Amino acid sequence: MDIYLPIAEVSVNLFLILALGLGVGFLSGMFGVGGGFLMTPILIFIGIPPPVAVATQTNQIVASSASGAIAHFRRKSLDLKMGLYLLAGGVLGSIGGVQIFAFLQATGQINLVISLCYVGFLGVIGGLMFIESAGALWRRYRQGKTGTPPKPRRRRRGLIDTMPFKVRFPVSGLYISLIPVIGIGAMVGILAALMGVGGGFIMVPAMIYILRMPTSVVIGTSLFQILFVTALTTFLQASQNQTVDLVLAVLLIVGGVIGAQFGARAGQRIRAEELRAALALMVLAVCIKLAFDLVSDPADMFELMEMSGRPTS
Amino acid sequence: MMRALHGLLAGLLWLAPAGGALAAPEDEIQPVGIIAALTQEVVEIRSNFTGADFLVYGAVTGLAEGDDIVIVVRGPQEDLRVMRKIRTFGIWVNRAPIAFENIYSYYAVASTRSLSQFATFSSLRREGIGMEHLRLSAPAHEREETRFGVGGVVVTELGAEIVDYRRAIVRNRARDGLYVESPGGVDIIDGGLFRAAVRLPPVTPVGEYALDIYLFRDGVPVASRRTTLQVRKAGLEQAVYDFAHNHAPLYGIVAVLIALAAGWGAAEVFRRR
Repeated sequence: MDIYLPIAEVSVNLFLILALGLGVGFLSGMFGVGGGFLMTPILIFIGIPPPVAVATQTNQIVASSASGAIAHFRRKSLDLKMGLYLLAGGVLGSIGGVQIFAFLQATGQINLVISLCYVGFLGVIGGLMFIESAGALWRRYRQGKTGTPPKPRRRRRGLIDTMPFKVRFPVSGLYISLIPVIGIGAMVGILAALMGVGGGFIMVPAMIYILRMPTSVVIGTSLFQILFVTALTTFLQASQNQTVDLVLAVLLIVGGVIGAQFGARAGQRIRAEELRAALALMVLAVCIKLAFDLVSDPADMFELMEMSGRPTS
Repeated sequence: MMRALHGLLAGLLWLAPAGGALAAPEDEIQPVGIIAALTQEVVEIRSNFTGADFLVYGAVTGLAEGDDIVIVVRGPQEDLRVMRKIRTFGIWVNRAPIAFENIYSYYAVASTRSLSQFATFSSLRREGIGMEHLRLSAPAHEREETRFGVGGVVVTELGAEIVDYRRAIVRNRARDGLYVESPGGVDIIDGGLFRAAVRLPPVTPVGEYALDIYLFRDGVPVASRRTTLQVRKAGLEQAVYDFAHNHAPLYGIVAVLIALAAGWGAAEVFRRR
């Protein structure tokens, strides 16, 4: 059954969208990732105009991060002060990102930049995930030493310890400069606006390896920041670019929230190395497809756009 | 004297003398006129919209042997930017934008035979009938010149390159079913009755559509008739679209609230199970 999307101005199959929402929601619940980095390219593949795909997917992440953020808030497993500083950076990044988005749309380069961002990030994330999970599988296969995995690098005094504007974060037990905190927050805000992702896949490693926050509060704090940044980005995209499609968003949200709940349950029972390797391969496949489209000869050497820069089809 | 009078009569009976096509055949006896109607004058885009089909039908009075009928459907005009993909550092990048103005978002031509079989080049060009004669102008790159003693000839500083851009517009639109040419698409049924099927694709833009029906005789249009069609969003699609554009900030807030409610609601429902 086809349904016409009023903002995207295309017809899509209702059940396909619901199934995609469920599937990506399931994966996101299972692996604790937002799923935006999978869903946005898929939406673009099935013909949703990229600006609408990005903005609408941001709206869906508001829903998927809300339930997680509430749970962590109840358990107090988050560093609220850190979250607020990250959020301050995120607000700056989101406002800037939506402006960059509008500018790129006006110059006709938005599709290219979205694709390039995806190729870069998916390549790195997928590659790292695949190496990590393949390594885990290999170790299990060899039945070798079942001891501890290699320890992360020894804490040493790095660049960020020399930066000014230091602030104490009691919950995380940190006394660090605000510059990397605001910077990471801003980075994630820009990515939310440009790529339609929550940015958890960037923020979680950044919090652990750059800010050296304790892992117990990392997920809760990142969800807190993602929730507010994606909510703000949705609002800005809707009011400035009119690219949020409510009909598409509702379909994605319905599939996504249900899928995420089942995914979270499944994730607790299943040994995840194989699945993580599978997810990594999926991420890499999406990345390769996008990269291939960038370099292979296009079907048409010309592209038509409205004067606002929005592609016409 | 009689000849002149006949010519005048024929002229008066033109319901919409299109672009001053004044080449009335002089041996004309019966005055010509066209009446036409659509099976659907309003096309509504609702949530189940996957395109629309309708019929243009009507009658031509004074249809003679060898006459041809052309039906042209022109959608709302818009300004377009067309960019060429150029390989830059190994990847294809949109470059060299050219702004086109007042381009039809939908353009369909149906005729009894293929246009070149019965119409002169100049009459097709004057009326803008057919993909080769469709006006696709990029005013920023054009100027008027006098050539071979003819004033007001539009030339483009882009030279032959503009042809590639124009073809790209037609090709792109044809791919989406927005530009359609169907020689043989008009059936003359009987004694001046005609009909033609028009297809609007799923990506049909909203707005006012003009349908022109031309009667061609001896290579030139001798009568024409215009009728209109409206394509509009309706129902939920209309409401959501208007809301998004007229109350954009409120729309954004509603979008966020729906998402928050859904996320919170799902967490609550599943927590209790």
